[in-house]
Amino acid sequence: MMTGRHPIQCIVPPHMLEEIAERGNTEQQRMALNTLSVSDAFRAQRLEAAEFAPLVTAEQVAGKDRIVYDAEQTSDLDRRKVRGEGDPPTDDPAADEAYDGAGATYDLYKDIYDRESIDNNGLRLISTVHYQKGYDNAFWNGEQMTYGDGDEDLPPEDRLFNRFTIALDIVGHELTHGVTQFEAKLVYRSQSGALNESFSDVFGSLVKQRVLGQTAAAADWIIGAGLFTENVNGEGIRSMKAPGTAYDDPVLGQDPQPAHMRDYKNVITDNGGVHINSGIPNHAFYVVARDIGGHAWEKAGRIWYITLRDKLSAQSDFQAAARLTFEAAGELFGAGSLEQQAVKAGWAEVGLGVDQPDSPGQDTGCLDMVMSPFRAMFRPTTSGR
Amino acid sequence: MQIYFERSGGFAGMRVSTTIDTAALDAEETGELQKLIDTANFFALPALITTTSPAGVDQFQYKVTIEAEGRQHTVETGDAGAPDTLLPLLQKLTRLARAKPGS
Repeated sequence: MMTGRHPIQCIVPPHMLEEIAERGNTEQQRMALNTLSVSDAFRAQRLEAAEFAPLVTAEQVAGKDRIVYDAEQTSDLDRRKVRGEGDPPTDDPAADEAYDGAGATYDLYKDIYDRESIDNNGLRLISTVHYQKGYDNAFWNGEQMTYGDGDEDLPPEDRLFNRFTIALDIVGHELTHGVTQFEAKLVYRSQSGALNESFSDVFGSLVKQRVLGQTAAAADWIIGAGLFTENVNGEGIRSMKAPGTAYDDPVLGQDPQPAHMRDYKNVITDNGGVHINSGIPNHAFYVVARDIGGHAWEKAGRIWYITLRDKLSAQSDFQAAARLTFEAAGELFGAGSLEQQAVKAGWAEVGLGVDQPDSPGQDTGCLDMVMSPFRAMFRPTTSGR
Repeated sequence: MQIYFERSGGFAGMRVSTTIDTAALDAEETGELQKLIDTANFFALPALITTTSPAGVDQFQYKVTIEAEGRQHTVETGDAGAPDTLLPLLQKLTRLARAKPGS
């Protein structure tokens, strides 16, 4: 898929590069940033190829700018353009859901949080649908969204997943990974990775709630509703209201998400359980939104957005998120305000205080234990966030 | 030949895995797997192929171990980092793992 890049990128894992870029000495930082920036160069090439002038300024590109490609079941992300900004609907539900979902996500960020696209600089929103055959997934690759068709290659009675554009919150989830990439840059491993996942679930859910005009009390708080086929016993992939209860199925097993710190799962796979432990901050957000009441995107969402934009950093853990959302709520709504009290109550419900010092070193799983000697070489300063 | 396959991560964070002993497969299926392993030049691949993008998220991670003719090799890769030559093998093993969930 992505071949022919400089070999050094294939040797040093991205999360280590990011750590080096943040913590290394001047020369180490320069090298790491240089390596990381190659992917930005690839994005510029892509934009150029799409006859989209590189190095454009915010003024030149202000406004919604979406493009949808059909991979025609290959890995070729820009195989065939099927819809550009302002084009009429296609007869393909996946392409139109990707287009409309990107629009609804853009609108939430623009109308409510005054953010101009993913990078706050009018970045084009690129989506590819019909990625590979039997690809039961959606992802953000650092430059664009990509959606598979589920397990359409299996006989109908064995299928578990529908197309991944079917749930609006999945589209919002993927785009929010882009926002996080340009803001807090949360490293995709262990607690910072689970926070990265949680922010994507939070704003994905808010995109859907806003389109439906739902209050926090009325929303289902399910991520990926409609994604499972009728063969699966489940409402969706994750529940922010009740993590661990989204599905319970003979084939897929039971939703593994914890809703409290005492049930935090130390696992090696999934980058240290980023899609598992996200249940903890997800549930904290749900409680905050429920306690504040009304439309969740207006207050709870604003507190979370400001925290993501201005306060969190690459290594932040759950404790830091608790402390910093509390701080943001105080700045936005006043110290001791009902909103700030709700933030405190939300984190308390998942076992976190808002006035605790951040963990001296978040638990980072076995892979990081193996890598710690290397990390120590690049970490002249003390650990912590 | 023994093949151990595991796919984890992805948007849903669900893990699927399977262990295949080709002695239990028919000749046609074994031949197809062998061809895909040869196409991938599996035993010459690096053990860890990391993605090039610093922000590739929600992607699947694959871990494949193959034991054959006295040698054993394990390759770990994500969606974005996987060489085009390895993709058909990953897709075939994914289909086999999904056909026998939890095995």
